[in-house]
Amino acid sequence: MTTVSDEDVFAAFPTVPIDHDNLEHYRGLLSQRLLVNRCSACGMWIYPHRPMCPRCWSWDVAPTEVSGEGSVFMFTLIHQERDPNAPTSEPTVVAAIELAEQEGLRYLSQIVNCPLDAIALDMPVRLVWVERNGRPAPAFEPTGRS
Amino acid sequence: MARNPLKDTLAVVGVGSTAYGRDLKRSRLSLGLEAATKAITDAGLDRNDIDGLCGSGMDPLAVGGAGFLSLQGALGIDRMTWVKNGWLGSCFVYAAEAVFAGLCDCALVVQVSVRGVDMSRGAARDPIRRRAGELGSGFGGVGPGDDFARRWVHSGEPYAAWMRRYMHDFGATKDVFGRIAVNNRMHASRNPNAAHRIPITMDDYHDSRMIWDPMQLLDMDYPVDCGEAVVITTADRARDLPHKPVLIHAMSLGGFRVGEFYENSPSWTENSSWVSLQGVWARSDLTINDLDLFFPYDGYTINAVALTEAAGFCKPGEASELFESSWDDDAQILRLNGHTLLHTHGGGLSQGRAGGFNFYTEAVRQLRGTEGERQAPDARATLICAGSSFFHDPAAVILRA
Repeated sequence: MTTVSDEDVFAAFPTVPIDHDNLEHYRGLLSQRLLVNRCSACGMWIYPHRPMCPRCWSWDVAPTEVSGEGSVFMFTLIHQERDPNAPTSEPTVVAAIELAEQEGLRYLSQIVNCPLDAIALDMPVRLVWVERNGRPAPAFEPTGRS
Repeated sequence: MARNPLKDTLAVVGVGSTAYGRDLKRSRLSLGLEAATKAITDAGLDRNDIDGLCGSGMDPLAVGGAGFLSLQGALGIDRMTWVKNGWLGSCFVYAAEAVFAGLCDCALVVQVSVRGVDMSRGAARDPIRRRAGELGSGFGGVGPGDDFARRWVHSGEPYAAWMRRYMHDFGATKDVFGRIAVNNRMHASRNPNAAHRIPITMDDYHDSRMIWDPMQLLDMDYPVDCGEAVVITTADRARDLPHKPVLIHAMSLGGFRVGEFYENSPSWTENSSWVSLQGVWARSDLTINDLDLFFPYDGYTINAVALTEAAGFCKPGEASELFESSWDDDAQILRLNGHTLLHTHGGGLSQGRAGGFNFYTEAVRQLRGTEGERQAPDARATLICAGSSFFHDPAAVILRA
């Protein structure tokens, strides 16, 4: 695997406030790895990304790849975007995916390979990678299990 | 009970409001100055009595607009011993704290809200509003993410997702949200300074344009240009001023373990709004049955539903039953537990979006008893939850006559 430089990460995400606590997360996205900060002392997954464990106050926090298994905690269908020049035809789904690693660990993403009217709360989903703006982006698709 | 040394020692003595309109063609400073001068005059004070000032904005030290530096200069007030900017409902709490602590004697809070590029596609096409959006921090700019996360702006789209989660978890229908929309519009129809005065029905609510499914247009507050201001001083000094003092009885802000953002609240009842309500009741001699008026934040209808439950009018998830049993079918308004009125001015949904600061000015007017045909009978106590989001700086304030 080639190493993605800091400069490349900043260039790929020009509007994101990237700092020491989330740089590895965004670097991971560029090589199709979904990394979430995890406490090495007590095992807690820490998201939004923070440098210290909010449970045990350990600073031994390591970006760690998640399994990609999860479920739909909540979602909305965007019929009208804020940009006045954006088309309003097909609604866009935006979802908070509860990752299987920990209760309440939720990652904002999109749902693919699923008709809009088939999306249901608590539906099991798994991570897939799609291309968005010329770079890999995480998305989730139904596992087919209920 | 929690410690509350400021109980009934502070008073709101002046209020000032501008017109509410979709396009007033005025700067933020202009709106702020009109509200400020009206509030100082209403208080019966000289401008140089004002020695504390909270201007408008998320950035406590921002320059320009209706921030404290511009306002003080434009108002020509000699000196201040307490200054900052603030927003939503929490700015009121900060100003009251400053008076109580003795950093100033008379604090002026000025809050300006304009129809921003992030609230209205029409606004985004207006060159003056677009320039303000590019150079200022947009209201929805809390925690910006990448291109995709920008479709889930804090605050905004996540509330739509919470609406679906709420209905799923508690077996509710959209009616619970619609009751807030209809209640507020019916009150606004009697308020000459409301931007939306044409009455609506539950059918109108259900038929309104879908924006972020399941959130519809009539679930969202109405972006307008407006300014609001209040003057806060000590209860002692208030006795020598022209109006009946409106006392600050108890206040609380709120923060919850999770921190940011909307989607990370563990559950419906585990977020900062609920903390702020628990905090204010722990500091109050009053109980929920004493409330004549209730102002739950209505940036979106779901906020008002959440705050009604968090305040204790009913148990979590039971607002549908409460609203049904509290519905005045003749007037098409809510009377919680038979008597508590909500949003007598129309709220953000129908008077217009003021970040909730119009709750304070309306509450003061009603508690003074000066509102004529609009007057809530014998209004003596109110709970205001202005700008109470699911995570950032909710404010809960009890005012009494």
